[in-house]
Amino acid sequence: MKKLHIKQLIEKIEGEAELDFTFNDGKIEDVKINFGFYRGIEEILEGKDARDALVITPRVCGICNHAHLLTAVRAIENGYENAGHKIELTSKAKDIREFTLACELIQNHIKWLYMTLLPQLESYLDCKSEENYAIKASYLSSTITKALAIFAGQWPHSSYAVPGGVTCDPTHLDVMQAQSLVEESIKFFEQVVTELPLDEYLSIDLCADLHNVGGDFGKLLHLIGSSGMSEIGKSHDRFIVFGDGILSESGKSIVTKVGKVDSKYVEESTQSGTVAKAVTYKGRLYEVGPLARGMVAKVPIVKNLHKRYKDSLITRVFSRIHEVATLLEHSKSLLKHLNLEEESCTLNPHTVAKDFEGIGIVEAARGSLIHKTIVKDGLIVNYEIITPTQWNLSHGNEEEQGIAVEAMKDSKNTDEATFIFRTFDVCSVCTTQ
Amino acid sequence: MSSSCLDAKETDKMQKPSLLWLQAITCNGNTHSFLNHPDLFSILSHFEIVHHPALEGTHTFNEVLAGNVPCDVLILEGSFIEKGFLKGGVEVSQVIETYAKKAKYIISAGTCATFGGIFKQKDPKNISGFCFDLEKTTPRYDTYASKLISLPGCPVHPKWLSYVLLMIANGNKIPIDSLHRPVELYGYTVHNGCTRNEYFEWKIDSKNYGLKEGCLFYEQGCQGPYTRGSCNKILWNDISSKTRAGTPCFGCTEPSFPQSSLFVTKTNMGIPAKMPLGIPRRAYISLVGVTKSFRIKRFSERLMEYDK
Repeated sequence: MKKLHIKQLIEKIEGEAELDFTFNDGKIEDVKINFGFYRGIEEILEGKDARDALVITPRVCGICNHAHLLTAVRAIENGYENAGHKIELTSKAKDIREFTLACELIQNHIKWLYMTLLPQLESYLDCKSEENYAIKASYLSSTITKALAIFAGQWPHSSYAVPGGVTCDPTHLDVMQAQSLVEESIKFFEQVVTELPLDEYLSIDLCADLHNVGGDFGKLLHLIGSSGMSEIGKSHDRFIVFGDGILSESGKSIVTKVGKVDSKYVEESTQSGTVAKAVTYKGRLYEVGPLARGMVAKVPIVKNLHKRYKDSLITRVFSRIHEVATLLEHSKSLLKHLNLEEESCTLNPHTVAKDFEGIGIVEAARGSLIHKTIVKDGLIVNYEIITPTQWNLSHGNEEEQGIAVEAMKDSKNTDEATFIFRTFDVCSVCTTQ
Repeated sequence: MSSSCLDAKETDKMQKPSLLWLQAITCNGNTHSFLNHPDLFSILSHFEIVHHPALEGTHTFNEVLAGNVPCDVLILEGSFIEKGFLKGGVEVSQVIETYAKKAKYIISAGTCATFGGIFKQKDPKNISGFCFDLEKTTPRYDTYASKLISLPGCPVHPKWLSYVLLMIANGNKIPIDSLHRPVELYGYTVHNGCTRNEYFEWKIDSKNYGLKEGCLFYEQGCQGPYTRGSCNKILWNDISSKTRAGTPCFGCTEPSFPQSSLFVTKTNMGIPAKMPLGIPRRAYISLVGVTKSFRIKRFSERLMEYDK
């Protein structure tokens, strides 16, 4: 048995990472995933006013900044409640927050499809097309973030969610503009991504019917299927979701059994050789993200794919793009039912708790995002951010290898392995906040 | 430091200038902000993209790290640190300097690359912007000043960046101020064009977040009146801005960004501690005296009354 080490710099993953592969007898045995630079957002927050987290934490990540904002505001609201200030958001404020989060997720998934997955897969399979995929990514992501900005003022780096609600006070004119942009995004999804009407696409429950999906998504599924890659990339088949939202309730799924979770069992630990921290739940590793949400929420088509392919590359890839359809449909209905007569913000701005501890959880594009804040005398004394990528990319523990490492294991070449790595929609900056 | 114009003569001779986008300590917010540009690909068609953090370029990142790829226009994103930030075993600072020397234009995109920004606060002694450390120049300034264009903002506004790129592509001179910011973009304050201006004029504060009415300068911490930037002239995502969406301006284009207690206006005897840009305190107080002596009924009502 001959051991071989290969180091590879992976780029275009919201920064870079270095993968250090160990091959044993021609097969990958272990991979060390190293991220270079710790930026120290948690430390930067110490000593600042509690609400400054609403401005600082979005700057963890340029692609999922909005999820950080919403997690930060939930952490403060939870803290206020723990300190005895009851906070009741109007359904208007809740719906607007849910809508803007959905827009960000769509943006994220679409960029991943067009700027990572399709070009990387084509170059790996040596069938590079002349297509300008980036223009498609840019078109849909700028359309949907424009809808987001109607309420949030801008994307990236809005701070429009404040304790008690949102800062905007939209009119019907604003809502109609947002509706048009969502309609435009749906048209794009129907004509370019799937070549199917949205409702028809969403009615697909069996993987046997997936051949009806055309467009770029159909092309992607076909490329994966015809190159024999459907079965690769399996991991521990263990999933977790902490944020209750439109895509899933919180819960965990082991193989097919779904159970409840409590965020108090989440533990962070440092790892040697990288600035990224690992995360476990009751000492065990779990995958987070769209596949986890699909499994916990028992989405029929995801369950059906899982039945056939387990937690393989195709199930993981499919689940992420599939969320775009669910989110588009949900966004449409959120806007339709938005009650503009309600208050945007119910908390008096002078109601500011001085001492509290709070936790905020949101399902971001890549999975559960957790912020914990401890505030004394109005100032942050400790801030903890646990990002989705930390769950998926940890090295693992004594008992087992990390989620992405396990998925890459047994691969025979680094090109295939790095493609598997990218199916987790890796975000370097979130991992090294 | 004096105001100057960059020489555009060189550009005239160039066929499709090569464009290299390098990242140091960043969140990628500038990258994603620019990807939102509605005319992204027509703007980029004037350049040959050598390497970009998200878009495809003609060279791999490893080739960039080796130091040999062409670079006429260098876009920098992220705060700068001299030592201790390596990519592929190479100090990022060295890679940046290699291409900064080669480049005909250096665009610092965003507040981090320009002044140090948020990430400077992790290690204020060692982390800064590329040519500025807050408002002061860094030792690199003298070497690169003649080709430097500052585009602060957290993140950079996509249209501000496209303005600079197209001015370069068209061979135009870019008029800049003492901090190398294009005057056509930073001549405005964020306050210019804000839909709440009338409330500012009459010194009427917003009673809470989530209202169309009232100015955010008096209570909620808005820095718009003394922050340079055209956010309310060239709208974000072509549709809105922070203050239009009821969020205070946090001064993200300024060298001092981020300050603390961002949702609270610091006051002196009930008057905002920091005055609108260039306004003497005495002038401001005189105006407050006048406006506060009137009660304008319209400003005590909702902007729009709906039938119940």
